[in-house]
Amino acid sequence: MLEHLKHLKEIAFGQVPAGRRMTVYPDDLFITSYPRSGNTWTRFLLGNLIYEDEPVTFANVETRIPSIYMFPDRKLRRLPRMFKSHDCFDPRYRNVIYIVRDPRDVTVSAYHYSIKVRILPDSCAIQDFVPLFMGGNFGSGLLADPRWGCWYDNVASWLAMRHNRRFLLLRYEDMLQDPRRELVKVAEFLKMDPTPERLTRAIELSSAEHMRNLEKTQAKDWQLTKDTRSDKNFVRKAKAGDWQSELPPQSVREIESTWRVLMQTLGYELSTAPPVRQEAASIARP
Amino acid sequence: MPALRQRLFEVKRRLLGRDLAGRAVTVLSDDVYLTSYPRSGNTWTRFLLANLAYPDTPATFANIEDLIPSIHLFPNRWLSTRPRPRFLKSHEYFDPRYPKVIYVVRDPRDVAVSMYHYCIKREYLPETCPIDQFVPRFITGEFFNDFATWGEHVATWLAARESSPTFLLLRYENILEDTVRELSRVAAFLHIPDDPKRLQEAVERSSASQMRSLEKKQSSDWILTRNTRPDKPFVRAAKSGEWNQALAPESVMAIENAWPTLMQKLGYAFCSRLETAMGRL
Repeated sequence: MLEHLKHLKEIAFGQVPAGRRMTVYPDDLFITSYPRSGNTWTRFLLGNLIYEDEPVTFANVETRIPSIYMFPDRKLRRLPRMFKSHDCFDPRYRNVIYIVRDPRDVTVSAYHYSIKVRILPDSCAIQDFVPLFMGGNFGSGLLADPRWGCWYDNVASWLAMRHNRRFLLLRYEDMLQDPRRELVKVAEFLKMDPTPERLTRAIELSSAEHMRNLEKTQAKDWQLTKDTRSDKNFVRKAKAGDWQSELPPQSVREIESTWRVLMQTLGYELSTAPPVRQEAASIARP
Repeated sequence: MPALRQRLFEVKRRLLGRDLAGRAVTVLSDDVYLTSYPRSGNTWTRFLLANLAYPDTPATFANIEDLIPSIHLFPNRWLSTRPRPRFLKSHEYFDPRYPKVIYVVRDPRDVAVSMYHYCIKREYLPETCPIDQFVPRFITGEFFNDFATWGEHVATWLAARESSPTFLLLRYENILEDTVRELSRVAAFLHIPDDPKRLQEAVERSSASQMRSLEKKQSSDWILTRNTRPDKPFVRAAKSGEWNQALAPESVMAIENAWPTLMQKLGYAFCSRLETAMGRL
């Protein structure tokens, strides 16, 4: 009851974080991804590309490319119309940069993040975390949200709609391999024509090393790292293929057998032999 | 201060328990969602399912919202009082929270025809509007834009759930062709005993002619038909392929060009490509 009244008070004073209820305009740009897939890095890259005055930091990123989960609609209206979102497909998003990452690495990253934000004890083994993570319901509000779905839901619902709007698909792995090439794609998507120096500046100001240094001094200034364990980093290894050393074979098999179709579509090579395949049921009966 | 008024209105609705659930429905783990784009056979499937699941209470327009309520017509507070497991009707595009989904899909060319008549019934459109002027507006989802476009609706559900054991795909055309067969798939999906007599009875109680005669008597008892034009029925032709006569070739082509892959995947054969090709010969 008290919760209920508190919620009503938040509605009355316009304090509810917008999330799915935000007012969307056709020109809005959304940096969308499943959690732990490189969204923050992309926000830094984009922010440093667009704003030439001062570099993006953890202290100002939310006023440059705000998260829709951090501010009420009322506040969002006064901020730049470029947003971070983790939502599943939303037909109102007309301009979407979608970042996808190998789900095996997403799992590893989510495991460490869960420990950082104290929804998982240090003692929990990663193989016990994998099924929780795959269900998409673990750590609601911090790591996941029922509206974000599981990794598969999120990626599949957006990929199905990529030809239906302005949509740029980025693979985290491609960004790591050649950030300049991928940032040029972003610039083209935004109809920008940056000088080589501007691109270099944006990439350097968003490098993992630079972001790690910023996190050291600003962890308390950012809502996502405030009050979390300071011995674990938000900006972690920032590399691809970590799963090979961190995930036990049985967990790899679990992920690959459940999400294999989408993984293959995205070019994430499977390490395990496919399970005995059921004949795909034909949708249209003859 | 429209924003403030909006917020106070929201508070009032919540206090009075009048905020319609819709996209914000509180999902329970044993819910079953009967989902489709509008005008795709949802109401028929609702009758079939209700008559199958509750054989002691024949479904009517007066009681259907008690048996299988629509999330778009009731607040969460009322929906939470329903016996569990709840069967709920929904027109939402992909929602990852729905634990179990029966999804009805229908040829978008027929959906367009049906929606055209429905928009006239609801007086969203003047009768004088020709159907071929309506079609482009159907394609962009103008009239039911909370539910996205037909393509967005179908593609997101299929992409995320197609291979899931918690998702049952029904084609409206297949239900028409062999209602008992398709209803037995529903029964198997929900672990409802599917003895032939019970299936047969549910099918008869939900036939188009039965539903038409119910609508005649009860259209003022049902929120979806109340205050709409009584000269246009909600239960209309209840057949497939009507677009062949109703739509001009340009309209057919516009729909087929909007969603070619999806239509092909669902077995909705094209006609315009063929005709265009033949026209060139």
